Amino acid sequence: MNKTININLAGIIFHLDEVAFEKFKTYLSNVKTALGKEESGEEIIADIEARIAEIFNLRMKENGSQVVNLSDVEFIIETLGQPEAFVDESENEVPKSSSKETRRFFRNPDEKVIGGVCSGIGAYFDIDPVWIRVLFLVLLFFTGIGFITYVILWAAIPEAKTTAQKLQMRGEAVNLNNIEKLFTKVEDYTSTEKIKSGVNSFVSFVVNGIGSIFSFVFKFIGVMLAIAGALFAFTLIVTLLGIFGSTWNLDGFNFISLNGYIYGLDGAQAIFGSGWRLLALRVGTLLTLLLPLFALVVFLAKIFGRELTNSKLLSFSGITSFIVGLILIFISAGSLITDFRERSTETDKITLSGMSFEITADILEDDQGFFFDVEDELLHIENVRFNIEATTYPTASLELKHAASGRNHSEARARAQSFDYPTALEGETLRLSEYFTVPKESLYRGQDLKVTLRLPVGASVYLDESIENIMYDIRNVRNMYDGDMLGHQWEMTPEGLSCTDCSTIEYYNAEEIEESIEDNLEEMEESIERKLEELELELKKLKDQ
Amino acid sequence: MKIENTKAQMRKGVLEYCILGILSKGDAYASDIIERLKSAELIVVEGTLYPLLTRLKNADLLEYRWEESNAGPPRKYYSLSAQGRAFQLELKGTWENLNNAVEQLTSTPS
Repeated sequence: MNKTININLAGIIFHLDEVAFEKFKTYLSNVKTALGKEESGEEIIADIEARIAEIFNLRMKENGSQVVNLSDVEFIIETLGQPEAFVDESENEVPKSSSKETRRFFRNPDEKVIGGVCSGIGAYFDIDPVWIRVLFLVLLFFTGIGFITYVILWAAIPEAKTTAQKLQMRGEAVNLNNIEKLFTKVEDYTSTEKIKSGVNSFVSFVVNGIGSIFSFVFKFIGVMLAIAGALFAFTLIVTLLGIFGSTWNLDGFNFISLNGYIYGLDGAQAIFGSGWRLLALRVGTLLTLLLPLFALVVFLAKIFGRELTNSKLLSFSGITSFIVGLILIFISAGSLITDFRERSTETDKITLSGMSFEITADILEDDQGFFFDVEDELLHIENVRFNIEATTYPTASLELKHAASGRNHSEARARAQSFDYPTALEGETLRLSEYFTVPKESLYRGQDLKVTLRLPVGASVYLDESIENIMYDIRNVRNMYDGDMLGHQWEMTPEGLSCTDCSTIEYYNAEEIEESIEDNLEEMEESIERKLEELELELKKLKDQ
Repeated sequence: MKIENTKAQMRKGVLEYCILGILSKGDAYASDIIERLKSAELIVVEGTLYPLLTRLKNADLLEYRWEESNAGPPRKYYSLSAQGRAFQLELKGTWENLNNAVEQLTSTPS
């Protein structure tokens, strides 16, 4: 069953099937446009319609058919000719000068990939837009200028909306022949653009004005959202690439770091271990990255003018794998939270003999937060805090408090017990370390270590510069900052640590010195006055005598 | 320069004269004129003719009347006006002169 459409030509009804109707409609409207500028064009069109009616009538009788089909329409076009044949060039002489129409910059909406900027530039310079696009891509990847330039051009260059603008974009003269060439692609605008008059035009002016303000605002918001979205997508892709590169141990892509220090597979394994979580992370990032990969393929194909037949399948599978991948990543990362549920602290105490100490620390060569030592399969963690406190016991001692998290209490305790922190007392020198180690299997689960040196009153201690990184708010009588305490000899007093070799300048601050000088001056004045009084009294006695 | 273009230009130039010539022999409706021009291979497609006929009519060289047709809608029967007849005769003289001139110029002297 086929649908037919009824048309009226010169007073006679014809039934056209759908295909024939579409073809006929386009043909007739093109003919009308071609004749639009002709004097008494309507009369000519009426004549032509009458002729078409005659031909259709004849063919219906010959074929014994009721319906006009595609071959009939094609016969009409063959007989009457293409629309340009209707225009007598000699009568419609186009001045040659107008063919040297000035070119204008327009964005090309018919061959656009993003905003039609590149194809517009291509049309202006008569270059295949592919090369402009390649140029923009190169600029984008090497400098980023490509992006900014594109956005500016997008905003600044108007889109070629009308047929005339499309011709100007290519530098072609706006004449019937050239317009005709465009007709197969674009509907004419003249039929929709009607001249309004009087009140109507004022109303439409106001409405258009408001409309264009709104459309500008929406366009602006749209562009901003697009930029924000693009930045977000870019960050996400870079992050995913980093996790992907790290978990698969790909050189050059393992740029994701933990705490800013630990890189690559080591970093991933310090957190995720090497079990199912790492696997989920590997597979998850691989799946998520398929989406941008597919998008890139489709985008490049579009740039080079190839229509991918399976682009829909690509986008569907890309989005699906992206969602599945994200779920895997979230499961892997989310399950970590349970590993931090319980926290346990273990305390070791070492009694130190002697009353005088010098504290030094082993410093790591590069200042890393924590890292794997591949050779001994240990996780080195730099999370040590050193403090000095007073004790009522007669002997000095060192207290080590290790804390760690775990899924349950026993796991946390096992982790806290598996610390290894090397300390050594050689003569008076107490050697500490900036880091402690845990076995690789125990993973990074918030381990930290508090080292406290407890000194009885009267004990003395020298703080070496090397302990700078592990000092944590050591209290002293002068309230000096940690950093200033280094390189000095301290003695434990009942009030706290007191410096024994600090110079006055270091000891007091300027205000205190000023105050003390003022005090001294006052004292001196007073004593001089007293002396004077005494002398006066003695002088009186002598006079009396 | 394309040979097709030149041919078309030549045909176009004499087309008006030929239409007037056909009508000088008797009235005819558009399809008739087209048929004859086609068989003489002066035109390829019909479309060219309709604007031309209308222009000649607007220039008062042609007149037309409606006649009923059993093949479809009523037909326009064209005929030469008095002015058109004079026009045709003048063109005839010009054409003959032109023809002679071309003949003389292009024929190889024997």
